[in-house]
Amino acid sequence: MKRFAVAILMSALVLAGGALFAQGTLVYGTTEKVTDMDTANAYDFHTWEIFQNINQGLLTYKPGTTEVIPGLAESYLVNDKGDEFTFKLRKGLKFTSGTAFTADAVKWTIDRCIKLAGDPSWLITDFVKDVQVVDPLTVKFILKGPTAFFPTMVAGCPPYFPLDPTVYPVDKVVKDPSELKDGALVGLGPYKATSFKRDEEVVLQANPGYYGAKPKIAKIIIRYFADATTMRLALEKGEIDLAYKSMNPSDINDLSKNAKITTFKLPGPFIRYLAFNCDVSAFKDKVLRQALSALVDRPDFNQKVYLGQNAPLYSMVPQGMIYATEDFKKALGDGNVALAEKLLKSAGYSKDKPFAFDLWYTPSHYGDTEVNLAEVIKAQFEKTPLVKVTIKSAEWATYKQQWRDKQMGVYFLGWYPDYIDPDNYTAAFAGTNGSIGNGVFFSNPDWDALFAKEQQSSDSKVRKALFEKVQKDWTVEVPTAPLFQGNLYVFTKKNVAGVKIGPTLIFNYNELSFTK
Amino acid sequence: MRRILRYVGGRLLLTVPMVFVLLTMVFVVLRVMPGDPVSAMLGGHAPQAVIDKKKAELGLDKPILAQYVDYLGQLARGDLGDSMILKEKVSKPISDKLPATIELTLCGLVVCLGLGVPLGVRAARKRRTGHDFGIRLYANVVYCIPVFWMGLMLQMIFGVFLDAFPIAGRVGSRVVSGEFDRTGFYIIDTLFSGNFEALGDVLYHLVLPAFTLGITLSGVFVRLTRANMLDVLKSDYVLASRARGVPERAVVYGHALKNALIPIITMLGLQFSALLAGAILTETTFSWPGMGRLLLERIYLRDYPTIQGIIVVYALFVSFVSLIVDVVYAIIDPRVRL
Repeated sequence: MKRFAVAILMSALVLAGGALFAQGTLVYGTTEKVTDMDTANAYDFHTWEIFQNINQGLLTYKPGTTEVIPGLAESYLVNDKGDEFTFKLRKGLKFTSGTAFTADAVKWTIDRCIKLAGDPSWLITDFVKDVQVVDPLTVKFILKGPTAFFPTMVAGCPPYFPLDPTVYPVDKVVKDPSELKDGALVGLGPYKATSFKRDEEVVLQANPGYYGAKPKIAKIIIRYFADATTMRLALEKGEIDLAYKSMNPSDINDLSKNAKITTFKLPGPFIRYLAFNCDVSAFKDKVLRQALSALVDRPDFNQKVYLGQNAPLYSMVPQGMIYATEDFKKALGDGNVALAEKLLKSAGYSKDKPFAFDLWYTPSHYGDTEVNLAEVIKAQFEKTPLVKVTIKSAEWATYKQQWRDKQMGVYFLGWYPDYIDPDNYTAAFAGTNGSIGNGVFFSNPDWDALFAKEQQSSDSKVRKALFEKVQKDWTVEVPTAPLFQGNLYVFTKKNVAGVKIGPTLIFNYNELSFTK
Repeated sequence: MRRILRYVGGRLLLTVPMVFVLLTMVFVVLRVMPGDPVSAMLGGHAPQAVIDKKKAELGLDKPILAQYVDYLGQLARGDLGDSMILKEKVSKPISDKLPATIELTLCGLVVCLGLGVPLGVRAARKRRTGHDFGIRLYANVVYCIPVFWMGLMLQMIFGVFLDAFPIAGRVGSRVVSGEFDRTGFYIIDTLFSGNFEALGDVLYHLVLPAFTLGITLSGVFVRLTRANMLDVLKSDYVLASRARGVPERAVVYGHALKNALIPIITMLGLQFSALLAGAILTETTFSWPGMGRLLLERIYLRDYPTIQGIIVVYALFVSFVSLIVDVVYAIIDPRVRL
């Protein structure tokens, strides 16, 4: 027992010592994971967040807003047609490796990303035809066609963030910073990565050479937790200063009432929806898709499953985003059993011959609450005797394979945007190409033409009219049924300030600070 | 000595078919399970042509038998293959995570023996007394408790209510392990780097996970030690020692326990695989970044090569420990070598 007493005493000393030298160090807990430490291949929320703090785009977002402002480029020009963007780079910028930042690095990064053809490369290849170095501080992007939202992609998508050509390999995806020259990630952002241990810790230190607002916290340690409950306990015990993504609804409720914790509730552009296979299943018939959408009662499941912590969603374009409407509320309503029965009867179903189908969910990818969501939605569907639901589940890898193989008729999915524009919430699901990737298999030439038109237009009135039309038509075709818009919860100790995560989902660590 | 070497050689040869059978089972089961590693790897948006290309690139379009032969060839060259998800050598995450699991398992073993053997001896010495009854009750209770439940309980009592020990991770949140990590064995790394503050922190973080593992398996050793000690304490030579006036402590610990240890050492080899299995669950409970967590994550992602690699390493590790135990057994009990 004496040995353990010594160990406890020593640890107490460590912790006490830690409190002294922890000035300027913020510990951030998360249950997320980092994937490839390469902007050319990483395509997930958390890894992008790290890149958004150690790298930067030619343009960037004003923290907490959707306003695009100059980043590594001090200005840019667009030609009249809207398919050529010329960026004037800031003078005198250097990567954390000491290499000077020039237009060559911008072109090299884009060319490398195209060559490596990683998961997010489509964000470049679908839009960019060529990148030309005009002079050392001027670079021109020639697009495949006019793209109104191109600046938002340059500002928020890490594949566009310039890399140091003297550090990153041109022909190989970097999995781990140890593969890089000098073993460290190199960027132009407010922080630089100084230590990386997958699933354990990532340590960032303020980049003294950053051109913009200097970080207020010198060191940020990102700690990775296996589960939300352990992360919650760590926050309550003061082992971490900030916890972000993802807590269980009950933890959110409890922490929100904890006087020692500050809760930041932020509207997020993350959405959940029911996907219908519009090609081979019974859901080829849009009347059935309409009927099920009418039966969904959003406030009911939001309260029962999420304790009211999310927002009901009545369009695939989330509230708070430009051109968003609430057409599903008007057209189909919530728990509209009468309308659903009318539609089901018109499709030939009755009490004796109910519409029987499997409702699929995946048990862990979207958190522990997914099974509850499936149960509640099943109960909502079965409020009419004309519907008979069997719940089925599959782990994420199997789930994805099944939607590709068209083995699921209706199933739950979620969406984090690649770029902040209504296009990314509509064309990605109902455009012929995007729809295949999401297992919806919806195709309508008129809709494809509409998406092409909105993508090429820079006139906000024209785009507004087009998006309003597609959202209204969505309630008729119902390729997907929107369910809810996720709110983001960040929990911090009382002495942490500066949490600004806007609709872009970008979390700028350099805005964080300690208060007395 | 020659006999011992021949014995070791024989045991090593037995390891080969054991690993082969295990690997074949895992290989087949993984491939008949639903779920596709290519879909998991490429995300939900890749066109079918890209998926087919990737399957061909990874050799997943070949018949299972051809894939199996390829994999065996790869293993024979000492190559565990490349991860399908992170596209890195399988040996990389395994070598990163294995030290954490070994450190936890060995500490669990120390706790297990440290509790099990002395309690078993005491129960035998105090046979049919309150001590004996209490210790046997303890052994039965901890033997029945699932390791994950034990972990949660210790976490709640000592981590949350009493706030005495940390509940997650290998080091404190504010200690950067990258500053001392060389071998992955944090006790050794902190000792060699002379970072005694970090050493204290590492030991502090080991307490709850190691006790979770150790307590759960200590029940077996309590019962085994007690039963063997009861037999040995009835032996003629113990009686003779007592008759000669040898102090009771020396009789029990100097003579009786030494003889009672032989079956305990055998059990130690058998229980090591149970300790490793328990470590998988304990790692999840305590956010311990070891092989158990890695295995679970890769099973979800259908990362065939990594799962197979982990199973091979586990099998080799258990075989190695069993071999050591058997050799020790053979040395201390010559009858085994006959």
